[in-house]
Amino acid sequence: MGGALDPRGAQGRAVIERFDPKRTALTLLPLLFLAVVVVAPLARLLAEGWDHLSANILTDAYLRWRIVWSLIQAAVTCVLTLLLGVPLAWALARFDFAGRTLVLRLLMLPFVMPTLVAGLGVLALAGPHGVLPFNGQDTPWLLLYGNLFYNLPLVLRAGVDGIAAVPASRLAAARSLGATPWRTFWRVEWPAVRPWLASALCLVFLYCFSGFGLALLLGGQRYATVDVEIYSLVAYELNLGDAGALALAMMAITGAAALGYAWVEKRLAAPGKLEPIAPRKPATLAERAWLAVALLTLLTFSGAPLIAVLGRALMAGPDAWAVLAEPDTLAALANSGRFSLIALGLASVLGVTHALIARRSLWLRGAVFLPFIVSPVCVAFGLLLLYPTWTASLALLLSAYALFAYPFIAKALAAALDALPASQPQAAQSLGATPWRAFWRVSWPWLLPAFRRGLAFAAATTVGEFAVTLFLSRPEWMTLTTLIYQRLGRPGSANLDAALVLSALLMLFALLAFVLIEWPSPLERARRALAGRAVAATELPHA
Amino acid sequence: MFTKRLLPLALVAAGLAPFAHAAELRVLTHDSFELPKPLIAQFEKQSGVKLSIIKAGDAGAMVNKLILTKANPIADVAFGIDNSLVGKAAAAGVIEPYAPAGKVLQSLPDGVVSVDYGYVTLNIDKAWFAKNGKPLPTSLDALTTPAYKDLLVVPNPATSSPGLAFLSANVQGMGEDKAFAFWGKLRDNGVKVAKGWSEAYYTDFSRNGGSRPIVVSYATSPAAEVFYSKTKLTESPTANLNLPGGVFQQVEGAALIKGGGERAAAKQFIDYLRSSPVQQALQTTMWMYPVNPAAAIDPVFKHADKPGAVPAADSKAIASRGQQWVARWTRVVLKGGQ
Repeated sequence: MGGALDPRGAQGRAVIERFDPKRTALTLLPLLFLAVVVVAPLARLLAEGWDHLSANILTDAYLRWRIVWSLIQAAVTCVLTLLLGVPLAWALARFDFAGRTLVLRLLMLPFVMPTLVAGLGVLALAGPHGVLPFNGQDTPWLLLYGNLFYNLPLVLRAGVDGIAAVPASRLAAARSLGATPWRTFWRVEWPAVRPWLASALCLVFLYCFSGFGLALLLGGQRYATVDVEIYSLVAYELNLGDAGALALAMMAITGAAALGYAWVEKRLAAPGKLEPIAPRKPATLAERAWLAVALLTLLTFSGAPLIAVLGRALMAGPDAWAVLAEPDTLAALANSGRFSLIALGLASVLGVTHALIARRSLWLRGAVFLPFIVSPVCVAFGLLLLYPTWTASLALLLSAYALFAYPFIAKALAAALDALPASQPQAAQSLGATPWRAFWRVSWPWLLPAFRRGLAFAAATTVGEFAVTLFLSRPEWMTLTTLIYQRLGRPGSANLDAALVLSALLMLFALLAFVLIEWPSPLERARRALAGRAVAATELPHA
Repeated sequence: MFTKRLLPLALVAAGLAPFAHAAELRVLTHDSFELPKPLIAQFEKQSGVKLSIIKAGDAGAMVNKLILTKANPIADVAFGIDNSLVGKAAAAGVIEPYAPAGKVLQSLPDGVVSVDYGYVTLNIDKAWFAKNGKPLPTSLDALTTPAYKDLLVVPNPATSSPGLAFLSANVQGMGEDKAFAFWGKLRDNGVKVAKGWSEAYYTDFSRNGGSRPIVVSYATSPAAEVFYSKTKLTESPTANLNLPGGVFQQVEGAALIKGGGERAAAKQFIDYLRSSPVQQALQTTMWMYPVNPAAAIDPVFKHADKPGAVPAADSKAIASRGQQWVARWTRVVLKGGQ
């Protein structure tokens, strides 16, 4: 990509760097946060087990097999999500259809589902008593399916936004030179979408490598990841020496993956142009078939288990739905809303500041994924050791929420900053705008869609379970997800039904959050309208 | 963004919350702790302290958190230390012994105050056995025969307290070598291992969408099935399968944490846990039997077939050998070794 060397691009970035509060405390914010919440606790835990630290545990053949298996698993999922995700993303990015915006919001829902509930959904389809005529429980097929269920949305969403951002003029140029659609894809669209996919795939890898609860649930304990081993070493055996050795070995792999991502993204970074192409109605039969197959595939992999959960919730009957009026449910709903809002506020500040400094070095860029590189159980127990009086505080819990949410914002913004075209802030400044004003009026609108996309995924993590269950909690901090797990911790069909109904509520709550977060501003609506009318438009409409 | 406008307000509110009250008793519990709110409020009124309940994962993880924070205790009193963990907690020196007077049905060593007791045992799906016309197994060894191939699911003892309890009962009942030989045969006979009780019960047990009609669960689960049934059942859909060497009697208790504060209130709270109202309530919130003989047994417990005399668990052996058992179990069942 020659674009990376384009002097105009370099100047454009220099414009941004000027707003980069280089020497202010703000820059230190994300690093300080990571030091306090991740690095120090991890170091504290390692220190606790230091005397017993030995690499002996790594000589265990079974454990080595598990590490290798985790790697294979993660790599296969990356390849599969890529193969499935790109054609699907192309269809969703290029073709317009009724309910397209809703589908783009809905496809993030798998991300919110508690593992056990998603497992119930999958088994309702392909379990021993499922609606499908085969039983997939305990087969590797269902395990792969579980991985795709959770990870396809990540790649798909990145692909859709990346393809939609390919400048219209470049595509038009390729077509006018007689390139076939296939060739256009390879020469124009694929290079442009690669950086978007890189960060999504890195995340898929990290998720799959360190812990895929659903896969474990569906495939059985044979497929347990190393993270489960670390968990049981720390939480049950207090064997901090072996746990530390294992955690360090795992970190070497996840850290290398994150650095690899940072390197790829930096290398592929190229300033883009703001000429989004509005999706159009599929014109030919082939295009209609493509769109239909894409939507069906999405429905099969990501929609079906959710629909199964909804179906089971609906069939549970009115008695089960009475759970929605219980004080516990209302309190949990209020907490989910309250905690998500605060955590997202914190995650936004951290995400924006980290994205601004991420461009300085490969390390800082890779550090965006630090929360997913380290073993969550080690961090949780390290926090306990380091700040015993703070461990049962709401501040720490919310920090944990923000910790696992902010990488989404940071990575989306970092990629958008890479693609920021030089000309516009420059033009604004040459017309006399202050740097801050140029940033606010010209650059920020460009960054806004990326910010919102990151925010939506961040919201999904705060609503979902993730590693937050590892931290100390209080009954009065009950969220929807913890309430669902509490119900599934007791026998009885009424508890199961209540859990399913609460999961339906969780989906609705999350969907509402996604729709609100990505509600187009007047500026974006105008821009979209403009893109729809004149494909060649290059000017950013000013509000 | 409206989130940004609300943020400072919300942060201030969250920050001020902890300062809203005075004396506070910090109670560390496992995740399954639950008492009706009026009972909590009543205690706060009686004692004049605010109860701060802190949930710390399952019982095993909770005790380890206590041990790790021994130098700076994170609680004044803990509930949920059972007879499989009491040895470990006592050896680590996190317990300040307390021995209130009063007659109880079950007790715990090392100054931990027993509060309730129950049994980890096998549950069966009655409908499955009726439909398949299969007789119930009469011994643990029967589970290793072809007739019962692929019918059992157990929670992993490395990640689940009932899983560890079941394994401890096996070892105590058969002796270590025989117990692991039995697990080797179970492995070959297709035993399924789930991560925890919830996974085993809700995704593998045939009553709930799985394919396995025998699950490691609690002796009170059949009663809970009736209590939490959609249409009020007169008979439980599940039943206990109490086999020799397959039942673990669990006694759960509360303890003062060494170095914790609010001593008077802490003792008062432990006494309160043993009082009739709490002993009555915990039966249908935590699904355990009361240790206080004065507490009436809830009528729904008639659906739970209470196991007969079970040898008392050997807390010392579990404390000293438990980790080796789990390691060996992992080797035999998951790694396919001996």
